[in-house]
Amino acid sequence: MNATVESRVDTAIIDEIISRHKGKPGELLTVMEEVQEASEFKFLDDASMEYLSSQTRVPLSRIYSVATFYSFFNLKPQGKHSLIVCRGTACHTKGSKILLDDLALLPGCKEAFDSGETTFTSEDKQITVKTVACFGQCALAPVVAVDGVIYSNVTSEQIKKLLQNLQEDNKDENFRLS
Amino acid sequence: MEKKKINITIDGQSFQIGAGKTILEGCREIGVKIPSLCYLKDVSSNASCGICVVEVKGAKSLVRSCVTQASEGMEVKTHSPAINQARITNLELLLANHPKDCLICERNGNCELQDLCALLGIKETPYEQTKPVEKIDDTSLALVRNPQKCILCGRCVAVCADVQSVYAIDFAGRGLKSKIATWQERGLGNVACTNCGQCALVCPTAAIVEKDDSKQILNDIYDDGKIVIVQTAPAIRVGIGEAMGMSEGALVTGKMVAALRKLGFDKVFDTQFTADLTIMEEGYELIKRLTTNGTLPMVTSCSPGWIKFIEHFYPKSLDHLSTCKSPQQMFGAVAKTYYAEKMGIDPRRLVVVSIMPCTAKKYECKRPEMNSAFHYWKEKMNLQDKENFYDVDYVLTTRELAKMFKLTGVDFENLQEEDFDHPLGISTGAGVIFAATGGVMEAAVRTAYEVVTGSPLKNLDLKVVRGFEGIKEAELDLNGTKLKVAVAHTLKNARVLLDEIEEGKSPYAFIEVMTCPGGCLGGGGQPIPTTWSIRQKRADSIYREDSLKPVRKSHENPAIKAIYDEFLKDPLGHISHELLHTEYVERGIY
Repeated sequence: MNATVESRVDTAIIDEIISRHKGKPGELLTVMEEVQEASEFKFLDDASMEYLSSQTRVPLSRIYSVATFYSFFNLKPQGKHSLIVCRGTACHTKGSKILLDDLALLPGCKEAFDSGETTFTSEDKQITVKTVACFGQCALAPVVAVDGVIYSNVTSEQIKKLLQNLQEDNKDENFRLS
Repeated sequence: MEKKKINITIDGQSFQIGAGKTILEGCREIGVKIPSLCYLKDVSSNASCGICVVEVKGAKSLVRSCVTQASEGMEVKTHSPAINQARITNLELLLANHPKDCLICERNGNCELQDLCALLGIKETPYEQTKPVEKIDDTSLALVRNPQKCILCGRCVAVCADVQSVYAIDFAGRGLKSKIATWQERGLGNVACTNCGQCALVCPTAAIVEKDDSKQILNDIYDDGKIVIVQTAPAIRVGIGEAMGMSEGALVTGKMVAALRKLGFDKVFDTQFTADLTIMEEGYELIKRLTTNGTLPMVTSCSPGWIKFIEHFYPKSLDHLSTCKSPQQMFGAVAKTYYAEKMGIDPRRLVVVSIMPCTAKKYECKRPEMNSAFHYWKEKMNLQDKENFYDVDYVLTTRELAKMFKLTGVDFENLQEEDFDHPLGISTGAGVIFAATGGVMEAAVRTAYEVVTGSPLKNLDLKVVRGFEGIKEAELDLNGTKLKVAVAHTLKNARVLLDEIEEGKSPYAFIEVMTCPGGCLGGGGQPIPTTWSIRQKRADSIYREDSLKPVRKSHENPAIKAIYDEFLKDPLGHISHELLHTEYVERGIY
């Protein structure tokens, strides 16, 4: 299945985003951010980037440069839910590597991170696990975020529960820790 | 007005240097050597390598001299224990991720990283490799990228963007995963790369090199069943000497011919012959366009990087391109038809090798439509489609030829000079100057003037289109007919003229475009280094060769007259159309 073709962002939407930011400082970053947000699977697909390049005359090599520099940008389709584990120094000393390893319950996840990847999406596109360098919440380490909600002082039991919630995808239950 | 100077102290000595310069440039001006790696004059200084560090009194830490402006009263130290140690550490860190296979490397003996290791006396490489090993990009017909050898100096990115405005490559990733990449890492062969090879010309290591075709050529030379003939582009005679250890811009036409014969080529011919032929066809095409209300301005089509550029970025303007093939491709088509027929050679046995200052020519000769000779013979010889052959079989750069000369023990500098073979080696001064920006224009004017006016051109030197200014223009008077012309080199300058065309504002009738800075003599396949002062020396030699030629106008070349009498009949005639002219394709920018 080629998700790239199926999930391209509508060109009218891209046009609207471009025109809203035209001439503003840092417009490329903002435009890319909003195009990603507009994408069904929250990623920058090839066709949308090629369209963006043709409309803004920003070379594709430069768009790729920006997209690969910032970990915020996704070049692959993202899962329905996100689970972000902070791998900053404070979280690391408080055991965030163990939390990441706990996610081995998700088949393929541990292998991906051990091979140097910084993002992994489950085969059923249900969950994307990512690492980031720091949330800026070091006093609460270790920290993880589920669909944008931050959890502090997370334990192995808790992260396993969070993962289980997301796998079961029982709406209101998703954010419960026990 | 005298340029402003500033006072600066370097290693305890007082100097005056030009104002507005960096410490590095200021020091080079007065002969103080600061080692550097990523910095390249006129191309880039992104301060990535940390080799050119110096101490500046009052500064908290070492500063990078390539990006720090010198200022009045500045006190600089260019060497000290701290500086020496910093340079060595920075170099060792780069070496951690660079292969140590110098002995078997393409750039062995001509590598800035290798030279720097010798200069700084590197004795060990204490750091372990940290970067992941990236795949070699061999998707292109012209260039090969080996990311492992890349030191991320950014010169290739700068030259591709700032000189050529092509933007085929850029930095990608971050931290340890930083690399130079194409869009989605599709590879140079699958993106809008023009194959100009300027990236290879500025690369300090072997991270970007031309695709090597020399082994197959040697095999064909040693194969008695094959007749291997060679054509040399105008710019080779002012480049190959350099690559063989002679002085910059040395004019070595006769030695080059002798060396090629020693190497074992059956005949040594000259692309300048077909440069003259190009002038005939292109000159008549221009006159036809002028007199029949054709598409104007007409733009030259000799430079394959330029062709691919316009096909990618300005497909709406393809009608402006002359339909003439480049001299290299005209040569292949003529060699495997006219020459083969004349000599009674089976074209299937004939191998045509080009020596070009150019990497894009490797791509050009493999364009699917460049098999006119095959079509010429197909019915006559009842050939099968699977027997298809290209007009030009192989292209070697100046650098690759130098390697072959060395491999086969050619004592280049001490060779007796020899002459090209007949008839495809006979050329005029007009053919010579194709090597320099403005040369095709000047050559075309020498012929067009006489064809249009019917009277001889008194002053053959059209100095107004010579020199390295980015865009040159001139107004020519062909006996009352005023013709506005322009000459551009580098694709960034070509873009300016193309934008004018697309806006309907181009005032010109005829435009010459060359892809590389300075024209072919500064081509992506020429010896490394190629700097502006070296380009100038090569250009001086080219114009000297032109002035020494007994015949300096293409239409007066006796071999050109003969090929029209015996074979082609008329410029733009039926056979010319089949063999010497071509079509272009629209390509996306992806």
